[in-house]
Amino acid sequence: MDKTNENFSFKKYAWNQFKKNKIALISLYLLLFLVIIALFAPYLANDRPLYCEYEGNTMYPAFADETRKDSIFDKNGEFVQVLQYDITDWRQLNLSKVIWAPIPYSPNSMDRYNRDYAAPGGKQRYKSPSGEILDIPNRFRHKLGTDGIGRDLASGLIHGTKISLMVGLVSMGIAALIGIILGALAGFFGDNKLKMTRIKYYLTIIGVVLGIFYGFGFRKYEISNGFNDGFNSGMWEILISFVLFLIIIILLRLISRIFGISSFNKEIFVPIDTFVSRGIELLNSIPRLILIITISAVVEPSIWIVMVIIGVTGWTRIARFTRAEFLRIRSLEYVQAAQSLGFSSIRTIFKHALPNALAPVFVSIAFGIASAILIESGLSFLGIGVPDDIVTWGNLLNLGRQNLEAWWLILYPGLAIFFTITIYNMIAEASRDALDPKLKS
Amino acid sequence: MLKYVIKRILTFIPMIIAISLIAFIISINAPGDPVERLTKSAGSEGTADEQSGASKKEKQEIRKKLGLDLPIFYINISNLSVSDTLYKIQDRSHKDNIKKLVHKCGNWNVVSEYYKSILTFERKSKKLIAEEILIQMYPEIDSNQNRKKLLNDINETINQIGFEVGSLCETSESNLIDLKLNKIQSFIDSNSYLTHLKTDFEKTKKLRGDLISEATKWKTYIPTILWYGTKNQYHLWLFGNGKDRKGVIRGDFGISYIDSQPISSKIWDKIGISFGLSIISILLAYLVSIPIGIYSAYKKDSKTDRITSLVLFILYSMPSFFVGTVLLLQFANPDNLSWFPVSGIQDPTIFDPEWGFFKKLSHRIPYLILPIITYTYGSFAFLSRIMRIGMIDIVSQDYIRTARAKGLGEKKVILKHALRNSLLPIITVFAAIFPMAIGGSIIIEMIFSIPGMGLEIFTSILNKDYPMIVTVFTLSGFLTMLGYLIADILYAVVDPRISYK
Repeated sequence: MDKTNENFSFKKYAWNQFKKNKIALISLYLLLFLVIIALFAPYLANDRPLYCEYEGNTMYPAFADETRKDSIFDKNGEFVQVLQYDITDWRQLNLSKVIWAPIPYSPNSMDRYNRDYAAPGGKQRYKSPSGEILDIPNRFRHKLGTDGIGRDLASGLIHGTKISLMVGLVSMGIAALIGIILGALAGFFGDNKLKMTRIKYYLTIIGVVLGIFYGFGFRKYEISNGFNDGFNSGMWEILISFVLFLIIIILLRLISRIFGISSFNKEIFVPIDTFVSRGIELLNSIPRLILIITISAVVEPSIWIVMVIIGVTGWTRIARFTRAEFLRIRSLEYVQAAQSLGFSSIRTIFKHALPNALAPVFVSIAFGIASAILIESGLSFLGIGVPDDIVTWGNLLNLGRQNLEAWWLILYPGLAIFFTITIYNMIAEASRDALDPKLKS
Repeated sequence: MLKYVIKRILTFIPMIIAISLIAFIISINAPGDPVERLTKSAGSEGTADEQSGASKKEKQEIRKKLGLDLPIFYINISNLSVSDTLYKIQDRSHKDNIKKLVHKCGNWNVVSEYYKSILTFERKSKKLIAEEILIQMYPEIDSNQNRKKLLNDINETINQIGFEVGSLCETSESNLIDLKLNKIQSFIDSNSYLTHLKTDFEKTKKLRGDLISEATKWKTYIPTILWYGTKNQYHLWLFGNGKDRKGVIRGDFGISYIDSQPISSKIWDKIGISFGLSIISILLAYLVSIPIGIYSAYKKDSKTDRITSLVLFILYSMPSFFVGTVLLLQFANPDNLSWFPVSGIQDPTIFDPEWGFFKKLSHRIPYLILPIITYTYGSFAFLSRIMRIGMIDIVSQDYIRTARAKGLGEKKVILKHALRNSLLPIITVFAAIFPMAIGGSIIIEMIFSIPGMGLEIFTSILNKDYPMIVTVFTLSGFLTMLGYLIADILYAVVDPRISYK
């Protein structure tokens, strides 16, 4: 009996509770399955073969770089042709040995013999290497049909999985980062716990203004040039700006230590809880879809920007939960013990209090991922914010809406979205029940 | 209580200001030049050159009307090198370019002189007329073919110079500027009829040198605050100027880029349909979800409860755009079942505005069934879940136990004691009905082509009609806040337990 108590850990208890919920456990396995599909998407659906032998050369085209170019020589050392991997139609080559990907089509490759919505079970055509147009062999059949320009739906779904999961992960990653930090600060310090000398307080405010001026105002051309060069260099410039912003604030806070005049050194409270709570209230009072649509109407369409917007607008729920947990935790003995030992507030917050506040946050992140995926697919369905050349579940469904005869374009992407959202919601519900038995309903 | 209401209203005001600021920032940062959009929508035709001459005055007027000749905000944090008159430059791309040049060089005087000299040069080079030059230069020429060829050459040169000078106003990278200047230089050197431009060109070139030699880069490092007073774009947008602009607070949201119609009247035309739809569907959702919620809370953990919970959960996870499209596919599709019309809210060929209310309604009902189902099921699942959880929470309270202990029947306990209090959380949801009328139905109205606000927003996003988008944003933010305010006050009135410290 004693031994079990010693080994009792909350994580184990929660996991055991979670495991009891069969539906949730199945959902977790399904999620794992989706992750595997997303990770191996390029090898599951690709119009380049996984392995092939052509004129005596062994090649692994699906694993090679897309833009690779090879000069092919036959056995006698005579030049045959140049193969550029991404534009070669591999099906038309006389391959002596070949292993195709399970779905032998890329999401964006257009099969011009099966344009105009080829139905899954209907007649599909195929051009053999010898140049005849035949009924399609089973290996190359579009198992879930095609869209109006001959793109394979199954391949689109597989590659769409990657985008869907990424949207959930990236946007909720951003939201969690903002929400946890702000919520923790607001909950831990409240309105009357964070003391600062007056001079430090005002210099910090000036530091924020100056930090924005030098970090973002002064460097705005560098940032916009960076984004013109590409997304990565743009993000890099933003990172530099952000570091500059932080350095300036820290510098001014250091300067504030020099001042020794007593009237400046009077301590005042920083109403950090009020700031955060007002921010949450403000963001909550703007309908989220409208906010996201408005912003994405103004900026260039890009899937990354959509993720960032969903993240930046989605942190309020997480912040609210974190704040509530911290309000409770900050008066507990172990936090007070940590403080009386002289640990810094930062250390107390992030090392001692935060791990114990994460349970409800985890639940709201899981719900948040579901709603992020829902919003992203809604946006792609409307064709707002997400560029057309990226195949997502949402814009596949939109293609189906435009041509109701192509029921497969409605049914399969819709079910994919629905299942993913349900999986996340199920996991979130079950983990809520497991992590916080009080909330169980 | 009164104190709480007053305090709540007072926090409402800064929120509204914040919303208006966000909306304004978005509208300022919208890409493209509003004047260009409005003149285009007015439908002016002709070659580019004719247009620039003819509609210059018109553009000026639109610019003035939109207040684009004013500074953006009350104050502007900028740096020492920027003049407080920068906003007066009209062309947006020129303005951006000058900003870049000032950022690079830091000396406002030199940059403005340089810009002015380019403008003078441009004006003079535009006065060149090929025919006159031809007569002056080659008075003796008579062969028609030669004449044509020379005329072509001269025209070509003039056009090239015009192009280079024009693009000079939009170039900030120093090697590109040098390239363009060299090109113009070579034109002037090789064509004798351009000699009178030489002095102006030399001046531009000298100022170009000054951009580098007299650069005061240090000035760009020093922040300054400029104060413009109430004559600024935000103030005009919000409060109007008392004449032609009435301002957002009096319901003037500007004019649409698409058809130059006032946005407020466009919204007024469309909002009725969306509002009606959302009222009907919300009421239906309440009618269904309250009994379901009560029942499954009453029979908690029974088989029926589990099944309804699962079904509600699945409905809740179902994206509305999927449901809407599937309904269309299944019930408004000649291949499957053609029970309902595909789109719209009425048949324009037989619809008669003279009809009475009921006749109109009965005509429209088949059009509304699918959208209302799509509209309702999501909120119905959501409401039922809230209702069930709230009810379970209430049932475990002490006073319910007391009611049971004193021997009341289960029916009476639930319907009389528990129900009233479990309805409270649902008040909040009702507050969401107004903003839903403005924007919540974008996807549904797009699927079913219902000519309401949602479809209007959708088309305005496709056409990049920013005034409309920003207006919808402002209005829905305002209405949501108003809804929350009303809900909070109602709460305080209905439920005295809530403490408001």
